[in-house]
Amino acid sequence: MAEVTYDHATCIYPGAERPAVNALDLAIGDGEFVVMVGPSGCGKTTALRMLAGLEEIDDGSIRIDGKDMVGVPSRERDIAMVFQNYALYPSKTVGENMGFALKMQGVDSGERARRVREAARLLDLEDFLDRKPRNLSGGQRQRVAMGRAIVREPKVFCMDEPLSNLDAQLRVSTRTQIAELQRRLAVTTVYVTHDQVEAMTMGDRVAVMRLGQLQQFTSPTELYDRPANVFVASFIGSPAMNRFDGVLESGGVRAGNALLRPSDQQLHAAQGHGKLVVGIRPEHLSVGGSGELTVKVALVEDLGSDSFIYGSLADDAGSSIIVRSGREHPRPGEVIKVGVDASHLHLFDADSGERVGD
Amino acid sequence: MTAIAPPVAGAHRTRARTDRRRQGWVRRAPLLPALVFTIIVTQLPFLVTLYYSLESWSLVRPGSQHFVGFGNYADVFKDSQFRTTALNTVIMTVGSVLIAMVLGVLLALLLDRKFLGRGVVRTLLITPFLVMPVGAALLWKTTMFDPTFGIVNFILRPFGIGHFDWLSSLPLGSVMIEMIWQWTPFMMLLVLAGLQSQPKDILEAASCDGARPFAIFRELTLPHLRRYIELGVVLGAIYVVNDFDAVYMMTQGGPGISSANLPFYIYQRAFLGFQVGQAAAMGVVVVVATIIVATFALRLIFTSFSGTEQAA
Amino acid sequence: MSADSMTAQPGPATAEPAYAGPRARRRNNSLTWGIVGWVVGILFFFPVLWMVLTSFKTEAQAYTNTPTLIFSPTLSQYKTVFSSGLWPYVANSAFATIVSTILVLALATPCAFALSLRPVKKTRDVLFFFISTKMLPVVAAIIPIYIAARDLHMLDNIFTLVILYTAMNLPIAVWMMRSFFLEVPGELLEAAEMDGAPLRRTVVEVILPLVAPGLAATALICCIFSWNEFFFAVNLTATRAATVPVFLVGFISSEGLYFAQLAAAATVATLPVVLAGWVAQRQLVRGLSFGAIK
Repeated sequence: MAEVTYDHATCIYPGAERPAVNALDLAIGDGEFVVMVGPSGCGKTTALRMLAGLEEIDDGSIRIDGKDMVGVPSRERDIAMVFQNYALYPSKTVGENMGFALKMQGVDSGERARRVREAARLLDLEDFLDRKPRNLSGGQRQRVAMGRAIVREPKVFCMDEPLSNLDAQLRVSTRTQIAELQRRLAVTTVYVTHDQVEAMTMGDRVAVMRLGQLQQFTSPTELYDRPANVFVASFIGSPAMNRFDGVLESGGVRAGNALLRPSDQQLHAAQGHGKLVVGIRPEHLSVGGSGELTVKVALVEDLGSDSFIYGSLADDAGSSIIVRSGREHPRPGEVIKVGVDASHLHLFDADSGERVGD
Repeated sequence: MTAIAPPVAGAHRTRARTDRRRQGWVRRAPLLPALVFTIIVTQLPFLVTLYYSLESWSLVRPGSQHFVGFGNYADVFKDSQFRTTALNTVIMTVGSVLIAMVLGVLLALLLDRKFLGRGVVRTLLITPFLVMPVGAALLWKTTMFDPTFGIVNFILRPFGIGHFDWLSSLPLGSVMIEMIWQWTPFMMLLVLAGLQSQPKDILEAASCDGARPFAIFRELTLPHLRRYIELGVVLGAIYVVNDFDAVYMMTQGGPGISSANLPFYIYQRAFLGFQVGQAAAMGVVVVVATIIVATFALRLIFTSFSGTEQAA
Repeated sequence: MSADSMTAQPGPATAEPAYAGPRARRRNNSLTWGIVGWVVGILFFFPVLWMVLTSFKTEAQAYTNTPTLIFSPTLSQYKTVFSSGLWPYVANSAFATIVSTILVLALATPCAFALSLRPVKKTRDVLFFFISTKMLPVVAAIIPIYIAARDLHMLDNIFTLVILYTAMNLPIAVWMMRSFFLEVPGELLEAAEMDGAPLRRTVVEVILPLVAPGLAATALICCIFSWNEFFFAVNLTATRAATVPVFLVGFISSEGLYFAQLAAAATVATLPVVLAGWVAQRQLVRGLSFGAIK
């Protein structure tokens, strides 16, 4: 259990034009579960591997429990890593896989067996201890990979998209298991995924990354309610936030034919920003209501509990808008009036993408 | 209705059976040319050898053949030279193959790392395998091992060795050195294939788990390489056991028979001594011995290689 | 995420100025390995290098107590080699090598195909049989082969060698081709079948292009073994069908042990295969590792 600090950490591959990870600053507390999320190529996996010692720290530093890890090889960092493809040792049994790190530490075989059995019990692997990885299913292999990490009682868990190779149902159940396990063991965990649902449900705090740079590092709720820029706003939340070009006018923001009224604080902060991007999530739009927008319905996704209306603004056929609705919903082809919940408008500067106002 | 049904079903069954049989032959057809050719060219001669081994026959005296039953075999087992050359063959094969494999593993580990000019070094290391065996043997005999003018002695002069007559004083060893030089590239390539087929994330996981490089090699890489090493040893042994060129060119089996192996000795009997029956009997004995060892060894290749197919 | 005309793109971060920060701080320990690698490479290659060097010396320069490294090269040894009737031997070797390799590929490819893509019962037994023919010592079969060749008037006939080389290389070729066929994904065959292609067309247009590198690799290995083969050549040929290895050995007996001359003869004899192996190195590596290293 330890604190992890990324201090301006940078990693650049030889011959690359830009760093894979660019001056990353993260302060992770002891026992915290941090998720790094972003599209492919954003640097999240590289950042994780820098922590594990599998990628070079070319500039800045990474500290575990206050100790600088620059130049320290992986085997001396006391970090357990769960790989995307599990990386189980094929020539060893499940028990030997899980006990390997302890063997390397010189722990005697009796103690090793005890700890392996304990971890196996936690993960429901007791019947498989003598099997080799090739005789296990995907889900079982994933649990062995977890078990291998748990047995070590390390300072930090590093997890590289451990759920991406599981089928959908297994993914959901394993997700909760991992979260529960981490809470119980209270080991500092850094978890990488491209799935924002995993990020939102599992993390104490989430770091959103893009093209090697940190976009925002805060709690899931904060990310959802107050995204720091347009990228975070559109990445977090499914279906994605609606975004419109807007221009500041007296009393509001004009987007197309509608005049939207954000809060006074927002309007005040928006002064001096010529062009704006206005964001509103599908659930903050409603059919009917104040009816600022006119929408032509293209298609409706009925998910059972609610439905999502996909359409375009009546006066701009090229636009797209998503409105959340209940079980009763309009049909494709209809033109409807859509109301905007002004208290949930997000404003961003159109050039920098940064958030404007609260 | 019911009266008609059974005969129709029966006819279907027989038609399906003949169809399947024809399908079977269609599948087998591409096999046959290669199979038939090999049987004719390799098995027939062996059967004839068996027949000759039961006769006493000298090539210089045509018409002198007569049946002696197992007389030739008795002579073979009484022949102390046969025993010596058999022992030489075993030493030569086991020694050369094992040392070539160890060197091959080391070289493969070297080539697995990135460094400037790695491709060129690989080219250099492959070359011994390409050199014509008689040419290589000739090379080693003259420019390398010659007592006065050979370069090996020149290099060893500072160490006080100077004038060593390799081919006379260390005949078996000299031939083995030449064989090892020729076969190491083959072992190296096979092991390199093994090294490159090992997923990198497993090595990373071991590193995170606290293993030092040598521990990783011992615990993970070596078990993974096992099937490649086994294949290399078996294939290498097959070729080395039959190696004639090196002995012929370097030492002609001498001094005496100290460096003669079985292929050379049998050749001597057949083509220099013209003792066809005896040579044939020796050949058969060698074949039987090889089959016994080979059956055991082949099980190894098959478990190794069918393992690859399952995992793939 | 949708990207349309009305909705805004996620931020301008793509138009950044070029990165001007610190470059990689990577340690360069590939230097030590580089040195070790080159030393080992040169050491292993040294005998060949020495052979080539010696071939350009005069006998006086070759027969020195201290090896001469600096000398003015001469082509006189090569002249001697080329003027001692080398070319018929080269022609024989080339003929035997090429024809036997073509035969081997023609026989091995369908055989390997049958053993891999359309598994036959007893695949293992057939493979076992093929590899077992290589285990039987050639010396056991040489006597009847010699006598048969003599009685059929096939001694000193290049076609005898062609047949024997084909039989010699067939097992290896079958094994190698099979490993290359096994790499062809089964789905390709199924897709072709669904597209209505008859088997023969599928093989020619879909499979052969995929295994072409494997074919090249196998052909190269067969050529190497055939060109270098000595035992059959020396016992079954005399003057008309003799191959290059026989020439080399004959060169010694007639000229005695003259180092420089022998070095030249050996260089000439081994050069074609060494060059072929260097140029087609990838193929060679693929073949020798049964398709595992690309």
